[in-house]
Amino acid sequence: MIKYFTDIWTSITTILGGMGITFIHLIRARQDNVTLQYPEERWPRPERNIGFDHDNYNVIRTRLHVDMDDCIGCLKCERACPVDCIKIVTEKAPERGSDIKEIKHVGVTTNGTRKAMVVTRFDIDMSECCYCNLCTYPCPEECIFMTGGPNSSRHPLDYEFSEPDRDNLIYKFAKSGTKEGLDKYIGEKSAES
Amino acid sequence: MGIIRGEEMVLNIGPQHPATHGVLRLQVRTDGEIVSSITPYIGYLHRCFEKHCESVTYEQVIPFTDRCDYLASMTMNFGYVVAMEEMLEIKVNDRVQHIRVVMAELQRIASHLLGLGAFGLDIGAFTPFLHMLRDRERILDLFEMTCGARLLYNYMWIGGLSHDLPVGFVESTYKFLDYFEPKIDEFVNLLVHNKIFVERTADIGVMPQDVAISYGVTGPNLRASGLKWDLRRDDPYSIYNKFEFEVPVGEGGKGSVGDCWDRFYVRVLEMKESIKIVRQALASMPKDGDVHQSLPKKIKPPIGSIYKRTESPRGDLGYYIESDGSNIPYRLKMRSPAFTALSVIDEIAAGWLLSDVLAILGSLDIVLGEIDR
Repeated sequence: MIKYFTDIWTSITTILGGMGITFIHLIRARQDNVTLQYPEERWPRPERNIGFDHDNYNVIRTRLHVDMDDCIGCLKCERACPVDCIKIVTEKAPERGSDIKEIKHVGVTTNGTRKAMVVTRFDIDMSECCYCNLCTYPCPEECIFMTGGPNSSRHPLDYEFSEPDRDNLIYKFAKSGTKEGLDKYIGEKSAES
Repeated sequence: MGIIRGEEMVLNIGPQHPATHGVLRLQVRTDGEIVSSITPYIGYLHRCFEKHCESVTYEQVIPFTDRCDYLASMTMNFGYVVAMEEMLEIKVNDRVQHIRVVMAELQRIASHLLGLGAFGLDIGAFTPFLHMLRDRERILDLFEMTCGARLLYNYMWIGGLSHDLPVGFVESTYKFLDYFEPKIDEFVNLLVHNKIFVERTADIGVMPQDVAISYGVTGPNLRASGLKWDLRRDDPYSIYNKFEFEVPVGEGGKGSVGDCWDRFYVRVLEMKESIKIVRQALASMPKDGDVHQSLPKKIKPPIGSIYKRTESPRGDLGYYIESDGSNIPYRLKMRSPAFTALSVIDEIAAGWLLSDVLAILGSLDIVLGEIDR
């Protein structure tokens, strides 16, 4: 008999207690609100500074970008990728460290390395990418990186890169026609000499 | 008049069912509302983790371990790197150890938050789930601040970490802990002592200690059955022996020891213990120390094998790694705690009502990514 009434009492008190908590949240809805009206409002970019000073360095993992002018074609990122979404094809440059204007090939990187290779294909399939960031660490020229980091003023936060066509997610960083241009250039060179 | 036995009916719950926490199919034989046997069918999320690891290098395994238990990626990384470091005989510095412990314990809180919230959701309590997700989001913000990813981190590396802590992390974490501690009490008032919830969980799905041990159930599920077994305390890895914390066990607060309510409440208590550990680790963390200091140039472990187990939020997570001296693992086997927790369901849930089976399944806190691998 006592149990019957204590059960009723605990039911009422615990349910009222729970509803009290929800009611407090209802009153403080404006101050406790964590919902964002997404397309109008955006989640603020986390501010952080972890002490690396070059401006490409970041920890946010949004999408990969390659500065082709700095790429020396060492294939380290391709080897580091656990899902093999980076495909690189390189050709031997006719002359180490010299520009080839016809295919807009820059001979020396910003770090001062003289390139021995011409990258004719640099494809990243972002639909396969697992955002592990493993490819960005071994790069000796720091030319492959994830965009949208805290220190990168030139790469704004971009996490919205859905595409209507899946093929558009294959990012081709080498300019099209590099291979043909290079072959033509080498052909002309050998014809001259 | 005895119970009228009707014809048994076979009912498939899942693979696409919100109560199965992922793509799991439970084949249930029911007699009316009463369940006579349950057969879990798994494999819908099988991604060849172990076979895949045999074709990638040791560093590249870490992103795959993330994806096994996608709700507790940090602890999955942790177990793997601890095993690899023991194999390679690498000693990492104190700062790295402390950061790892902080991350693993924050991840434990995040994982328990989602587990408890989803359990409430199974029972029919929707509000606590949203409260839990709101607080979990703050932990994910801390992780994003540190390593840039919110769910699949690839943060712990063999011999170090991918990044050092960002400026302001320690303050943000203290702020979060101060915010979160009262929230646990609020949650306890909101759901744990709620009469409807207690009626649905107390004395339901009792897992006796001997059944739990013989099935190999570990983690909070085992502790809820009354056995004080926590690898952080009993087989300390990393620097867990430095910290003081309690190992909460189920005491049958509302019903008998090892029921759904105990399994639920043990996780609530564990979050409090995790907060204690995070506070201690943050307080004793050395200020200096390079997180890349002991990264090996080449990872080529000697020929041999290792089995190392760590305490993930779901239990005893073991990695068996066999090396043939090259830079890719010859064999990598993961001992998954959620798999053993799922295997016990037929034993403890048979004979209960169909609605109780879903409560029991929710209380085991399984993650299908880890079961199927």
